[in-house]
Amino acid sequence: MSDVFAADAEIGRDLAAVDWAATPLGPPGGWPQSLRTAVSILLSSRFPMWMGWGPELTFFCNDAYRRDTLASKYPWALGRPAREVWAEIWGDIGPRIQNVLDTAEATWDEALLLFLERSGYPEESYHTFSYSPLRDDDGALVGFLCVVSEDTDRVIAERRMATLRDLGSDPNVIRTEQETLAFANLQLERNLRDLPFTLTYLYDDDGRARLRATSGIPAGHPAAPAVTEPGQAGPDGLTSKLIELDEPGLPTGDWADPPRQALLVPLLRQGDAPYGFLVAALNRYRPVDEAYRGFVELTAGHLAAGIAGARGYQAQQRRAEELAELDRAKTTFFSNISHEFRTPLTLIMGPLDELRTHLDDAGPAVRDELDVIHRNGLRLGKLVNALLDFSRLEAGRMQARYEPVDLAATTAELASVFRSAVERAGLTFEVDCPPLPEPVLVDRSMWEKVVLNLLSNALKFTFDGTIRVTTDAEPGFAVITVADSGIGVAADEMPRLFERFHRIDTARSRSNEGSGIGLALVKELVELHRGTVTAESAPDKGTTFTVRLPFGAGHLPADAVVAPGAAGSAGPAAAATAEPFLQEASRWLPGDTPLVAPVAGPAGPDAATVVVADDNADMRDYLTRLLRAAGHRVTAVSDGRYALDTIRADPPDLVVSDVMMPRMDGLELLAALRGDVRTAGIPVLMLSARAGEEASIEGLEAGADDYLFKPFSAAELLARVRANVELARLRNHHARWRAALVDSLQEAFFVCDENGAVIEINAAFTEIIGFGPEGLPYAPTHPWWPDRVTDPEAYAEVVAAFDMLLQDRQGGYRIPVTHRDGHRLWVAAAFNQVQDPETGRRVVVGTFRDVTDEHYAIQRETALASLSVRLSAADHVSEAVAGTLDELRELWQARYVLAAVFDGDDPPTLTATDPDLRWDDLPQQRLLALRDRPLLTPVTEHTAGAGITLEHPQGTMVLWVDLGHRRPFTEQDQTLLALLAGHLGQGLRRVHQIDQQRETALALQRAILGPAQLPAGFAVRYEPATRPLKVGGDWYDTIPLPDGRIGIVVGDCVGHGLQAATVMGQLRSACRALLLQDSSPARTLMALDRFAALLPGAHCATVFCGVLDPATGLLRYSAAGHPPPIVALADGGTHLLDQGRSRPIAVRPDADRHEAEYAMAPRTTLLLYTDGLVERRRQPLTTGIEQATTAVQLGRRTPIDDLATEVMERLAPAGGYDDDVALLLYRQPGPLELEFPPESTRLAPIRSALRGWLERCGVDQGTVQNVLVAAGEACANAIEHGHRDVKGGLIKLRAAVTADNVRLLVIDNGTWRVPRPAENPHRGRGIMLMRAFMGEVTITTGTTGTIIDMQTRIAS
Amino acid sequence: MTTALTLTTGNDSAGAPVLTAVGEIDMSNAETFAAALHGAVTPAGRALLVDLTAVEYLDSAGLAALFRHADRIEVLTGPLLAPLLAVSGLADLTTVHRR
Repeated sequence: MSDVFAADAEIGRDLAAVDWAATPLGPPGGWPQSLRTAVSILLSSRFPMWMGWGPELTFFCNDAYRRDTLASKYPWALGRPAREVWAEIWGDIGPRIQNVLDTAEATWDEALLLFLERSGYPEESYHTFSYSPLRDDDGALVGFLCVVSEDTDRVIAERRMATLRDLGSDPNVIRTEQETLAFANLQLERNLRDLPFTLTYLYDDDGRARLRATSGIPAGHPAAPAVTEPGQAGPDGLTSKLIELDEPGLPTGDWADPPRQALLVPLLRQGDAPYGFLVAALNRYRPVDEAYRGFVELTAGHLAAGIAGARGYQAQQRRAEELAELDRAKTTFFSNISHEFRTPLTLIMGPLDELRTHLDDAGPAVRDELDVIHRNGLRLGKLVNALLDFSRLEAGRMQARYEPVDLAATTAELASVFRSAVERAGLTFEVDCPPLPEPVLVDRSMWEKVVLNLLSNALKFTFDGTIRVTTDAEPGFAVITVADSGIGVAADEMPRLFERFHRIDTARSRSNEGSGIGLALVKELVELHRGTVTAESAPDKGTTFTVRLPFGAGHLPADAVVAPGAAGSAGPAAAATAEPFLQEASRWLPGDTPLVAPVAGPAGPDAATVVVADDNADMRDYLTRLLRAAGHRVTAVSDGRYALDTIRADPPDLVVSDVMMPRMDGLELLAALRGDVRTAGIPVLMLSARAGEEASIEGLEAGADDYLFKPFSAAELLARVRANVELARLRNHHARWRAALVDSLQEAFFVCDENGAVIEINAAFTEIIGFGPEGLPYAPTHPWWPDRVTDPEAYAEVVAAFDMLLQDRQGGYRIPVTHRDGHRLWVAAAFNQVQDPETGRRVVVGTFRDVTDEHYAIQRETALASLSVRLSAADHVSEAVAGTLDELRELWQARYVLAAVFDGDDPPTLTATDPDLRWDDLPQQRLLALRDRPLLTPVTEHTAGAGITLEHPQGTMVLWVDLGHRRPFTEQDQTLLALLAGHLGQGLRRVHQIDQQRETALALQRAILGPAQLPAGFAVRYEPATRPLKVGGDWYDTIPLPDGRIGIVVGDCVGHGLQAATVMGQLRSACRALLLQDSSPARTLMALDRFAALLPGAHCATVFCGVLDPATGLLRYSAAGHPPPIVALADGGTHLLDQGRSRPIAVRPDADRHEAEYAMAPRTTLLLYTDGLVERRRQPLTTGIEQATTAVQLGRRTPIDDLATEVMERLAPAGGYDDDVALLLYRQPGPLELEFPPESTRLAPIRSALRGWLERCGVDQGTVQNVLVAAGEACANAIEHGHRDVKGGLIKLRAAVTADNVRLLVIDNGTWRVPRPAENPHRGRGIMLMRAFMGEVTITTGTTGTIIDMQTRIAS
Repeated sequence: MTTALTLTTGNDSAGAPVLTAVGEIDMSNAETFAAALHGAVTPAGRALLVDLTAVEYLDSAGLAALFRHADRIEVLTGPLLAPLLAVSGLADLTTVHRR
């Protein structure tokens, strides 16, 4: 064999076989040295290369090029003219080659698209290559060398990733189905290479598939029928189907020729038949492999998800419309009801006017009563009218008649009506209404309501100072202001000022009356005039309302404008409108009735002193009259503050108080009274207009003795007053009357003796818990305690409360108790220890009330909140389900809770709180019946448990709560279960989506990083962050350089997710290309600086870039803000590679970078990593680096791949990595890997290679000789025995080193024969020698061959 | 291509027959070595001195040739092969001189 081809035996043999004499180069013997050198370099490189030499650019290539690119053209191509070899792409590469030969300058092409016919068809492929000139011995240009790296996989993966990313990038959350599909197809149209055209079909109700969207193909194309017949087209069931395309005239996408195949992919719907299917025409220039199919299926998944979202949104829309319809119906009802009020009101007010006329001369008492009726009738009428106005406005039926009005005069006139009321309130009233330049179109009656409401409002909230009304003209507008110097409005209430029914609770006002509709009505009426109303206010300074009405008529509907006076005159109508306002205001003002009217009635034997507190003068008068008539002495006051003063001055027998009052309300009054020893015993009867639990719980907590809700009858009031007065008196003789007193309480009352036995209860106690006085005394354990066996937790709570009751002087608790009929109650109790004055015994007096409803409300909220926490903490659907089951079990103290997902498997997939549960142990019929029930409808099985059905990403899910016959599942429990199941369903969908996104991102990250074709001696790892699983950003890379050295890169981009993964992919490719071009790490990083400066998101990435000479262990490196690599020497010493460090990438793209050198001693281990490996919260970075250093130091005796796993595990935090980690390990020298045919002549070169490698390992001479002998015997064995019967098999020798160990493997694929020393004594001696010279020898013989595994320790 | 091995026969200063091997001996050239050994060994008289001091590698095939003539030879070796000859048991059958 000619030694010009010796660098590669196989390619060399084929090159030698070429008839060189027939080429312009002639026989190899006559080749110039330059050609021989070039061929030798070519053959010895593991990087794909080819070259052309001489006039015809005769073709040479190496093994790597044959494998990656040439494929089936080998060996035909060897020795042929380059033009002929690459005829199909000569148009692309010919000019480049010519340019190299003309200019002697190298070219550089990145990711150039080439169609190679290496696999029997033109294949889309991308290559990054460089052509550089070759010179002959005289320096003349005679050829070129082409270094190639194929990046087809990367380019295509990135292109597909971009499409998937674009599909997920819809900025609009809400779209219709058609918009969603249109957006998606727009994105698909951007990738006409992978998807020359697509058709999206969705099924109709009748089973036909209808074409809904296309990309890359015009609608109406014959290949795209608008509708298909049922069952005629589409994929088979849920799997995709490959079909052949043979129709003529198909669109070609980005290619010259039409696609030949298409993939039919179903658009899958959770738990139901597919929505439809996607027809994706396929790129004819790429094989239809797993990755391609996966891409198309992910695309279809995106479409299906979009459709699901759009349809879900549509359903929501429909529901919203139904609600709006309900709201309209409510308004209509409201309007009708208001109308209905007017009839009886008219029939009250009409006869009342008659009566007032008739009884004009009756006594003042009768007149006063009639006046009260009249005033309150007006007030009710005003309210009903306002509500009607609203109904009309809402229904658009407010009939306005706009006439030109002198607005200044009209407003001044309206204001004047209020003058006397304002002045009676002690305020200054200023009206400043100069004439306006032109009339304003207004509806008089509406305008009156506007002005009167504003004035009434001003009067109500102003206690001293001024009320001021002004008119003015601005360009285009009449401006009317009503300003007061009242209490003002807090800034945070301002936005709600004009809101209907909104009342400012804390406001101090002349009256607490009002419905909260006055200002809202003003706003609506002004807006009907196309005007505006605004308010400015400062607390304690006052409020100014400004109304702006446009001049002219253009803004109003022409048919609603009438001539002046046509709408009726202002005078009497204004008076009628104003009267209710004035009547109402007058009742707020002092002067009508004295605050204190100490007129003694005819004091009878039962006569009591009563303080009446109410802000409504009519109500106050009414109560006073009633009580006086019954013989009580009454003091009437207008708010809680006056009441308190009065009561403190002279404690009465009883207080009758309204709840809602200005300055100090009834509850505050009550609290103040109870808080003062002198008044704590005075009974208080509260009057409230707000019937409902809220007020009563508040009131009773504050300690009111009794309650009356308005309206109430005179007899009822008097009876309660009498009872309370009597009780108040009885309190003084409590020994006799205590029982009656206790029974009158609405709260449950009990007395315990010092042993905890209940010795006295009241009627409310019996009512709430069901246990009556007939069972007294109730010794502990009380019969209402929860059962100790079936409900130990509740029992424990009660025991703890009971201990507190006996030990503490006073306190309160909330416990579960069991009603006599078995149902569960929650009560809140308060207790006090007291000394019985007669016996001196210590007793406990307590009360409690039923808070079951509150308890369940809180429980619902708590359960929802903790379920939300579980769901948000879950990374996977299964985790979310398991977490929920635990939560439900805890909530109901269930025997077990299980979830069965009917996902098509039989039996269904089970998750349960009891891991031993099997499908066969379960009530299967019950679960199967549940599966077919409507979603989210709970079903209770008597005392056994309850179940519910919901949607799970994999199918229908049945939840079953098994209560183990413990107690019934109440209606509240059912509501809660439905609520939680609904919440869970939503949560699962969300987790599932996140899950899928994450998997996509991870798949893409791995696609960019791998498959790793690592040079020998390297081990790499990539680990995404665990919680929440974050992907992207970190990378590693090894780049075999043409000169035999290896580029090593580890980097970390800022951020996570698809964005970071994309940036990472680009930086990685760029760094790879730059290193191939110029093997200086510092210059590579500087070029990367400039590249990254233009790449959004690449700023501040950190990179370590090194170039390693595997022959010598010399590493040149430069680092851009990256944590320092770690080396561990064979003797246990360690170093950090912290020279050549500088700022992160692109921070100062123009500044220089430096590089450093490190000579790796034999058996040194090198660790490169990203900061996720070492960075921990609350721990300096150096600590993490020290830990990593220790890990490598301890692992220096471990094989490199095992060490990678070990380092990742050793440094992993308890909960997994919270940042992603890329890691790269190398041990100098890399392993020796040899393959040779079973020929004894191969032994000498093998020994020579092994000797060289052992020397690079730094092994001493004696050991070298021992290893050589053992290896020689093993190889001889393989040649002699292993391959006696098999022709053509190869023998493999692999040698690897750790810090203190050399390991050799000799592998053959022949049949090992048991040594028979008698027959062939020296072979037996061979094995003996192996065992003698190596520490450990294992021989494994199998049918496929023999492995000899030998290890020996080496001195460090 | 067989492994490089040069074999020279001669006599030492005392007139004893000597076979000097230079290079490496493995299964590819063990037969050549065995043949040379066979030719140089005499059935009687002075034992043949096999000089292996310049042999850098010797495997069991080479050893086998030496064992065949163990009682008719003496071996001269350097430190490199001495352990091999001891371990293989040849040193127990024949005289091994160390240099």
